[in-house]
Amino acid sequence: MKKAIPYLKRTIQALSFFFLLYLIIKTAFPLELKIPVDLYLRLDPFIGIITILTKKEVILRMLPAVGVLLAVVVFGNFFCGWFCPMGKTIDFFDRIFFRERKRSKESNDQAFRRLRYGIFIFSLVAGLMAFQVMYVLDPISLITRTLVIAFFPPAIFVFNAIVPQVQSLLPKNSFILSTVPMPVFKVNLLIFVFFIGILALGTIRKRFWCRYLCPLGTLFSIVSRFRILKRFVTEDCTHCLRCVKECPVGAIPEASPQEYRRQDCIACFKCLECPPEAVSFHIGLPRWRTVDGVDLSRRYVLGSLGLGVVSALMIKANPLQSESGLKNNRLIRPPGALPEEQFVSVCTGCGECLKVCPNNALQSTLLEAGLAGLYTPRLVPRIGYCEEFCNYCGRICPTEAIRPLAIEEKRLLQMGIAHINKTRCIAWDAEKICLVCNEQCSYHAIIGDDKKRPIVKEEKCTGCGICEHKCPVDGEAAIIVYASGVQKKLKPENGNNSKG
Amino acid sequence: MSDSQERKLTRRQFIKGATVAAALPLFSNTLPFYGSLAHAVEEADLVIAQNGSASQLLQAAMAPLGGMGRFINKGQRVVIKANIGWARTPDQACTNNPDLFSALIKMCYEAGAKRVAVWDHTCDNYQFCFSRSGLKETAQKAGADIFSGHGRNSYKQVEVQKGKKLKTVEILRDVLESDVFINFPIPKQHFATELTLGLKNLIGITWDMEQLHKIGLHQCIADVNTVRKPDLVVMDAIRILTTNGPKGPGKTEDIGEVITSTDIVAADAYAAAFFKHPKTGKPFKPEEIEFVKNAYELGLGQINLSKVRMKKVTAA
Repeated sequence: MKKAIPYLKRTIQALSFFFLLYLIIKTAFPLELKIPVDLYLRLDPFIGIITILTKKEVILRMLPAVGVLLAVVVFGNFFCGWFCPMGKTIDFFDRIFFRERKRSKESNDQAFRRLRYGIFIFSLVAGLMAFQVMYVLDPISLITRTLVIAFFPPAIFVFNAIVPQVQSLLPKNSFILSTVPMPVFKVNLLIFVFFIGILALGTIRKRFWCRYLCPLGTLFSIVSRFRILKRFVTEDCTHCLRCVKECPVGAIPEASPQEYRRQDCIACFKCLECPPEAVSFHIGLPRWRTVDGVDLSRRYVLGSLGLGVVSALMIKANPLQSESGLKNNRLIRPPGALPEEQFVSVCTGCGECLKVCPNNALQSTLLEAGLAGLYTPRLVPRIGYCEEFCNYCGRICPTEAIRPLAIEEKRLLQMGIAHINKTRCIAWDAEKICLVCNEQCSYHAIIGDDKKRPIVKEEKCTGCGICEHKCPVDGEAAIIVYASGVQKKLKPENGNNSKG
Repeated sequence: MSDSQERKLTRRQFIKGATVAAALPLFSNTLPFYGSLAHAVEEADLVIAQNGSASQLLQAAMAPLGGMGRFINKGQRVVIKANIGWARTPDQACTNNPDLFSALIKMCYEAGAKRVAVWDHTCDNYQFCFSRSGLKETAQKAGADIFSGHGRNSYKQVEVQKGKKLKTVEILRDVLESDVFINFPIPKQHFATELTLGLKNLIGITWDMEQLHKIGLHQCIADVNTVRKPDLVVMDAIRILTTNGPKGPGKTEDIGEVITSTDIVAADAYAAAFFKHPKTGKPFKPEEIEFVKNAYELGLGQINLSKVRMKKVTAA
């Protein structure tokens, strides 16, 4: 039984990772899966706490996270070791590439262990003041974002490269395989490098990221002090230090392997592989005291707190976030997005909406929305447009930063307004019969004048961007959608058109 | 059907034809066995069927052309270019009528087609077009394969030898390689080109549709049609869209006609009259639609309906 546990754990970890992968793949048309495709994000209590605090209202979708938090209180931090897909990825690469060499002398990682609390305090304070730096570090959001933005497009690229080869092997015309338009995301390289960086930290220590940086891990570690499932070591311990070496998070001090830092233990049960079988886990009384805790000095806590406050103020004082008129009017938010200030504080940048968008219209921001809006979605019509009868982004947003809207409601929401650049438009400038924008417009918002030149009717334009997307002018389109500031509701069309 | 001219007349066909030729003057049209002989007769090049259900209309419209058997031989591969360009529901008349669509596919199989493939390069996202129009389900129920031209590997670059403005274009490979190509348009009002008809429907077999607007839309429509002439045009005028075309939704009109033809220009010339000219208020003349005129000038068909063998039939 004891010997089976590591295999069982590895299998469950792998299944958990592939389940996440499956959910991400299923985050696409027609979106009919019974399980919510953003399940993992909804189970993340760190995201849950911060979004609920910043939005100042209960987000029903995030409630499962509370259950996870309670389970951790009882059983200890089982999530990181058994279910976290990011943890699995790190474990996998640690196993393959970064096998830890024997350390000659005992190293003191107090400073590093303190760092995670520093980061946690910093991100919590900054987060509550609307500077969402910790979403970048949240492991679930991070792995989802990385898979969607960095690894999904190359997968499609490979698929598209293979398809014609397979097609040529098949008997002619019996079966047609079509390539699919490759999704593109501007920030993919950055996210890829960041991800590789995290994996490479494994050269320093096993699970370096999980031990010292991950804010979700820190949260779990704080609450798992009260755990009742505890580790016990009998007198049989021979000080072989095998458990010390095996522990992936270094929770067992080398000086006294009978002890362990309860808060750091991820309940992976690796220490059960004890030669004299001295280790066991069973129920014990909850206690706050622990051994070898971090020395969080008052100075350190106040320092992290202060840094969080000052950084948040820096962001708030930045023209991109203030009402200075320097707002990026090409920053079109997805339909149903909360007002900008709230949106950037609730959106975790997980990339689910980027994946589900059928037209690759949603893109991740880099600094277009300021540092606070890092990796938040924006509509880039030249790459793709907002499909008329699609409301998927709102349906899958785990934190409801994009509100779930009914199709009819979404169709009447103005994200932006199209403007015609008459010096570039081939109908206005070169007097050609074009009117692609008029033909494509789903809302009758572009009409033609008597010389068949397009004119935008602003009161009907939703800013979906199909006109900008399909405009045949090379490079920048001759019709461009500008954000309308706050998204507002349009009057419904009347008569025959209202049926949609 | 590209080899139809070279096909030799078998003895059986000769006897059949001769019998019919001899028998026709003797009997009136109301004879009960007339229908069974009809497939051997090609009475008209443009047939308009009225009054009836979708499948009746199609049956009635195909008979005077010589029946589907004239176009499809056993074991041939058929490609239908339908109009599924927009994410609209069937009653909005922006996409093909599902009943007629189903009847057409079934008729192809009855005539001996080995495989029927339906293609369209949609304007809206193909998944939404296929599901909202209901045509994916319809096609699959009728046993046809339905494809969207969203993948560039489905296309083949060809030279447009007869093209006046368009020199090269990427056309759906399956269309080029098909044995029988059926154009299945739905006539609609279209702001840029006045109307969208059979000729315009074939824009949906090209890859870079928007670029054609830049080169010169009307001439490009005619030029694209020189690449692969459809063997048969089945025009779905059961319900047409008269305003806000081509995407709609707009006003619709129930014409209740199915037009079949071997001559795409003639079919378009006939269908143009369904619509009223916005300035004059009179029905469109074929010459007023520039791409129809351009196609006629390229020798793609007859624009003058008085020179076309036309027949109107009642389905029910």
